[in-house]
Amino acid sequence: MAGNRLKTFIILCGWLLAGSGAWAQDEPACLDCHEAAADSPVHAVFNTVHASLQGGGAAACTACHGVSAKHDRRGKKSPPDVSFGPRWPSAVEARNASCQNCHNSGEQLHWAGSSHQQEHMACSDCHKAHQPHALALDQVESQQLCLTCHTRVRAELHLPSRHPIVEGKTACTDCHNPHGGLGDRDLRQVTLNDNCFSCHQDKRGPFLWEHPPAAEDCSLCHRPHGSVNERLLTARGPALCQQCHSAAFHPSVPYGNEGLSSASTSANVLGKNCLNCHSQVHGSNHPSGARLTR
Amino acid sequence: MNERRLLSPLAAAGALVLAAYGVLAQAADPAAAPAAEQVADDTTPYSPLALQNRPVHTDPFAYDAGVARLGLGYTSRDNYMFGEYNGLDERGPTVIGDLQWQDFRDSENYWQLSLSDLGLPTRQGKLTWGRPEHLRLTMGFDSRQQVRNDSGQTPFNGNVSQHLPGNWVSGQTTGDFAVLNDSLHDFDRVLNRDKVFMGIDARLNDNWRLQSNLSYEHKKGHGDTGAAIYINAASAESVLLRSPIDYGTTEFDLGLAYNGERLHLNGQLAYSDFNNDNELLTWQNPYSSFGPDVAYPNGTGGLGLAPDNEQTSGRLTGQYIFSATTRLQFDGSYALATQDQSFSRYTVNQALLVTVPVPQQDFNGEVATSTGNIKLLFTPVAKLSAEVFYKLRDRDYDIERNGYLYVRGDGGNQPGTAQTVYNTDHDFTSQTAGFDVGYRLPLHSRLGFEYAYEEVKRRNAAVEKTEEDRYTLKYRIQPWPNVSSSLRLQYADRAADTYDWAQDYYALLDTELINATPDGQRYTNHPLLMKYYMANRERWEGTADLNYLPAERWNLNLNLLSREDDYDQSSLGLTESRWQRAQFTVSYAVSNSLSGSVYTGYDKYEGDQSGRAFRGGQEKNAFAVYSPLPQASDPRQDWDIDTTDDSITFGANVRWQLSPDYELTLDYSFVDTQARQAISTQPGASVTASDLPNVNTRLHHFQASGIWHVQDNLSLQLDYQYYTYDSDDWAWENVRANTIADVLTFGQTNPNEDIHYVGASVIYSWQ
Repeated sequence: MAGNRLKTFIILCGWLLAGSGAWAQDEPACLDCHEAAADSPVHAVFNTVHASLQGGGAAACTACHGVSAKHDRRGKKSPPDVSFGPRWPSAVEARNASCQNCHNSGEQLHWAGSSHQQEHMACSDCHKAHQPHALALDQVESQQLCLTCHTRVRAELHLPSRHPIVEGKTACTDCHNPHGGLGDRDLRQVTLNDNCFSCHQDKRGPFLWEHPPAAEDCSLCHRPHGSVNERLLTARGPALCQQCHSAAFHPSVPYGNEGLSSASTSANVLGKNCLNCHSQVHGSNHPSGARLTR
Repeated sequence: MNERRLLSPLAAAGALVLAAYGVLAQAADPAAAPAAEQVADDTTPYSPLALQNRPVHTDPFAYDAGVARLGLGYTSRDNYMFGEYNGLDERGPTVIGDLQWQDFRDSENYWQLSLSDLGLPTRQGKLTWGRPEHLRLTMGFDSRQQVRNDSGQTPFNGNVSQHLPGNWVSGQTTGDFAVLNDSLHDFDRVLNRDKVFMGIDARLNDNWRLQSNLSYEHKKGHGDTGAAIYINAASAESVLLRSPIDYGTTEFDLGLAYNGERLHLNGQLAYSDFNNDNELLTWQNPYSSFGPDVAYPNGTGGLGLAPDNEQTSGRLTGQYIFSATTRLQFDGSYALATQDQSFSRYTVNQALLVTVPVPQQDFNGEVATSTGNIKLLFTPVAKLSAEVFYKLRDRDYDIERNGYLYVRGDGGNQPGTAQTVYNTDHDFTSQTAGFDVGYRLPLHSRLGFEYAYEEVKRRNAAVEKTEEDRYTLKYRIQPWPNVSSSLRLQYADRAADTYDWAQDYYALLDTELINATPDGQRYTNHPLLMKYYMANRERWEGTADLNYLPAERWNLNLNLLSREDDYDQSSLGLTESRWQRAQFTVSYAVSNSLSGSVYTGYDKYEGDQSGRAFRGGQEKNAFAVYSPLPQASDPRQDWDIDTTDDSITFGANVRWQLSPDYELTLDYSFVDTQARQAISTQPGASVTASDLPNVNTRLHHFQASGIWHVQDNLSLQLDYQYYTYDSDDWAWENVRANTIADVLTFGQTNPNEDIHYVGASVIYSWQ
């Protein structure tokens, strides 16, 4: 009798142990070891948008790092299923897959095949998920991330004529989608001109008298990141205009140093040169504006 | 000489960088250096080395829930280059005010608040409330300011209607304006943009998401514009005016996204409405050259300002995943831009005789833009990836074609019907198709090849169709874990249909005038000129990038680019252009608390263009018919301009945490630019022109910022900036308001700024 009671007790204990084990698997124990400490940024994630993943708490950890059973059991001897480094960085594909479990549409829709994906970049190269203040989403700081690799652009941002990118009033990501796109240069808008018109709607027209290259492609005359010449122009006037205009009389004439002489100052050289008269170079809606002077 | 001027500092800067590297590399721990000989094995994935050891800004408050900053700054002088965009354009004190706060502790709701530059005209802020993974509501504001050269002066008063002072003394040239100097007054060229916005992002269920945004932006201020009164080009008398800007733009979009297992769709409808409060800018003619109806004081000119317009668009973006190795991506859109602003009269000058009215009351036209991008990505075998793509852009400009018997430059009565001009629509369609394949090879190398064919069709242009073949070879290799390099070489050949140099002549002018014009003169541009963007072109472009990590914590990065465009069928106009660029960057993270980088670069754009002077002596009415101009067919009238724009940049920055309590950031930028125009003419020809002076600009900008963490939650920050910039642009150098006989300018000076800025602020942070 006593033996049966003992057997029953042992079986019940076994059930309880098994049950508690199963229960423990539902409650990740990440925070048992990763305690909040001033020198550990782990808990900072709980003050970010990722705090409530899968209900929050330790479940938020496993939402990105995986269940990580081995790591749970063996601690520092075994990495979590997905680690973003620096100690055990998982393969880029694994790290990115973790992010893309949620971020697979909208901005990130065309990540596959994008230039950054082809460069084997990881989301975590730019985004620090545990930081409440996300540098990649900061309009001023995010450009530093871009310029690390895009050093060619860095110089242009300091040229005499430029957009307010250095000041952070225009971010690289205002025009380009770093996660990829099907248009040229990963531009956000469907055409380059639409990208420009998203701020410069006054140039959108349509106009009665169009200047065809302006309607076709703003970059025929302007360099968006910066230029040696004012108004982001690709060349100085009047030479810039004369690349396409050689009509009889004044457009066909070379304008040199003579036009600067005090005895023969030239309206086609000084001041705004061609634009002293032809000011409506983006198009004119005035019925007398055929020559883009009205 | 010029090459040496530019290359010598570049070489010196490069040598400095290398020397610094040499010295510091010796001090680095040799045991920590990776073995350069160690060949990368294929189990180690390729990684972009540029990302390693980068001196990323380490925000000391990145892990705080909230940070508030309050202080005072002081700018030493009024300026417009240093403060062009940052709001520090006026001498005097400014308030420093920033606030960042977010709270995600509540699992049901979260808040984020961001305010910056509160004491400046560049202030911005955003407030977000959300329910995790379900809903996000955002609202905010963003103010911007752009200041331009404000050293100029004008005698005109008023805003939309600008008039001269009552005691104005007119004349046939600016030199005759006797009271000009007494009439000049300062004015600002400042543009302020204030935008408010709100948005919603709602996750409807596991598959559907709704997004919507609404914004309104008001731009107010002044730009500048040239404005002429004339009958023909020989008689034009111009003024520079400050141009009023009073724009309002409302934008709204509504998007719905579907996120399935294989199919992802993102549809968006958008509406943008642009409203300009000003339709016309009028000014009083200061000159007395024309008759009494046009001359001062009765003469008035009018410029059309940007018309009200609106654009409605729809866009569908998505992808379909066939399998793990094959997916189809697409992005298509349709947009309709319209405007129906009423036309003004041919002239604002009521005294001028206008017998034929404007043919229609308003523009009543539209531009429909359609785009389509499709890309099929697939990986047929493990190491081979491929893409096939197609791109379409179609701009359909739909407007009624009419004859406009326009008044030339508000300078005289309406001319005879023979001088009617016709508006023209300019449709544009571009289609590109191609493929891109890449194959992985040993040593983490990848060889890629892309081919694209682009066909561009234009209606009512000199060239109806261009076709371009583009071949691109790409190679990337990472032979060792600390070395990676990529090369890209492109050859493109664009072929244009027959260049119809008379097209715009026939499109613009009236049959009566065309018939009266001899055959040899039926063109506007010279027949030998080809507009470069639709001319035959052969392009070679190459880029090379090298990343080398010579030792732990070091990163050397070299980028080279060279492009050459040859417009091989063009005799006049742009015939050749070249672009060369070199960038060299060295980054060194001495320790986790000290890092720095140095970069230098050289950039050069060159263009060769030609022209043929055929003004035929005295300036003539372009609409009158003269005997054939012999100069038009005389190659001795040819001239060439070689333009060169180059820039040298050099910069360095250091981020140093001296101790747990002290942080220091130093940043320096140097930019030296030069624009040159060398002109040559034919020996013995009547046309002569000599080189224009070089235009130089030079910038030094030094920034230092120190933070002292007084307590866990209290810090002090000191900022200092020194900025110096000068230029000698001949377009404005010594050009006073009345220097040009027939252009009344602002008499502005070139920028020459020395600015000091200091700021002190207290930072309070909390967890």
